[in-house]
Amino acid sequence: MSMGKLKRILRNSAVYIFLSAFFVISFFPVFFTFMSSFKSNMEILTTGNRLIPKAFVVENYIKAWKMADFSIYTKNSVFLAVFCVLGAVMSSTICGYAFSRGKFKGKEIVFYFMVSSMFVSLGTLTLYPLLMEMKAVHLNKSLWGVIIIRVFGMNVTNLFIARGYITSIPSEIDEAAKIDGCSFVGIYRRIIFPLCKPLIATVAILAFRSAWNDYMLPMVFTMTDTKRMPLVVGVMHLKSSGAAASAWNLMLAGTVISLVPMIVIYIAFNRFFISGMTAGAVKG
Amino acid sequence: MKRKKSLIKSDNFQAIMMILPFLIGFILFSYVPIIYILRYAFTDYAGFGKATFTGLANFVRVFQRDPDFWQSLVNTVVLSAGKLAVEIPLALLLAILLNKKLRGLSFFRVTLFMPTIISAAIIGLIFSLLFSPFQGMINEILKSIGLITKPINFFDTKWKAMLILGIASVWQNYGINMIFFLMALQSIPQEIYDCASIDGATGIRRFFKITLPMIAPIFQSILLMAIVGSLKVCDLVISLTNGQPGGTTEVAMTYIYKSFFGKSGRNIEIGYASAMALITAIFLALVTFVYLKATKKLKEYEA
Repeated sequence: MSMGKLKRILRNSAVYIFLSAFFVISFFPVFFTFMSSFKSNMEILTTGNRLIPKAFVVENYIKAWKMADFSIYTKNSVFLAVFCVLGAVMSSTICGYAFSRGKFKGKEIVFYFMVSSMFVSLGTLTLYPLLMEMKAVHLNKSLWGVIIIRVFGMNVTNLFIARGYITSIPSEIDEAAKIDGCSFVGIYRRIIFPLCKPLIATVAILAFRSAWNDYMLPMVFTMTDTKRMPLVVGVMHLKSSGAAASAWNLMLAGTVISLVPMIVIYIAFNRFFISGMTAGAVKG
Repeated sequence: MKRKKSLIKSDNFQAIMMILPFLIGFILFSYVPIIYILRYAFTDYAGFGKATFTGLANFVRVFQRDPDFWQSLVNTVVLSAGKLAVEIPLALLLAILLNKKLRGLSFFRVTLFMPTIISAAIIGLIFSLLFSPFQGMINEILKSIGLITKPINFFDTKWKAMLILGIASVWQNYGINMIFFLMALQSIPQEIYDCASIDGATGIRRFFKITLPMIAPIFQSILLMAIVGSLKVCDLVISLTNGQPGGTTEVAMTYIYKSFFGKSGRNIEIGYASAMALITAIFLALVTFVYLKATKKLKEYEA
């Protein structure tokens, strides 16, 4: 009996040790970035580097914010994220509702037609055509182009989650409202939308993550105008420009500025992150 | 007038009007780009002026005179296969451990998932600094534990650079796959294990006889998403190696992107890039098709 207990304790500690190793692996690069962002450029570029900076140079952040345009990049990122989140919440609840409650002919066909985009999404291959489409309406040099593509291009995962969620709301509720004279849109506005809070939280967080982290799409839309770049694009722009070697400290400060909001939101809402990001997988 | 009003009031009309803008957007942003590529793949077009029809010339060029494109496609496949060979078993192992009934495991679930929420471009940037050739942190760590005496230049040969790409990509993705597997594991009814332990099945046998067959259908979907996702890798490569050294770590997506936009010293060749995009799209479809055919059996367990 005590032999068995000892064996179990040993086995459980092995599990904890293994998982802790992966905790370190998951965390180390982020911690390293955080620490490096307080190093002077000299320290970053010389050998004998230590994890903890010799002196914490807070100036990196002040310089990045004031001189390297990171205040503008942050503003752009917030702008992009806010409209992508609002758009995603509207588009997924509206389409989810119409596909769940609507009874028009061909509903299923249209739904699966839209879902099929999962299989025709070609990633980077369609960047150029997308940019040209937006050029036709003169939105190729503005983040509005990105927002329109993201919102109206529909995220299939969000659509799936939304339709599933709204279908799970008992339809007796809207039957009652209908008797009281509520229209189809009215039921959405007054009854369904207010009942969608958990759905909205999930969709909002997923949309925030992709808008905040996106690189290629906003990059091609801001190529010629650095003042419109969001954070990730701005950081990468600094890396690829000639000033890279002399500006690692600013770049790292910028990286941390882009990482912190994401991580804070993740810590606060990790349950929505994990359930939202896996919801698409179950259906797909 | 009265009829029009009742049309606007009808449920079906309203439902269609709610979907319509998104349906149009969806066609514009999912299908029109494909038509665009199809149209320009058979032309010579530099992004301005007129596109001249050249028939199959672009495709002849891809197949006969562009070894770099094929290298990038091979790189994509090698990188995907290599990193998935590590990532998928690792994610499954971690999921099995997290599925144990032990205290504090939710802490690990949340922290091990964290890399997933970071931008791929930022991950590339962080890893390029971590592994930087002379003063990088990984070099310092290896030196301090006595594994090396001279710093390694991780980015001076193709295969070293590819290895770093693989490591960064595994780091980025093992968390999400771990969570997918964990979900799959949690869907297995406990009674099955109870029965098995009465029959004396333990440990590894239990894993191969019960766990794996039970999660087979979900496993198939997880692997499909992982394969397609890694074949489409782009941001990470751009920010980590950008094809260096000497364009040898280019992947299909970065190679084609650079032809569309004239990056890395390439000319802007919309027609030619479209032809490559078309070939790559067909390749992606083919991989998906073959995969679904080959793994059909896995899905049958579901019944």
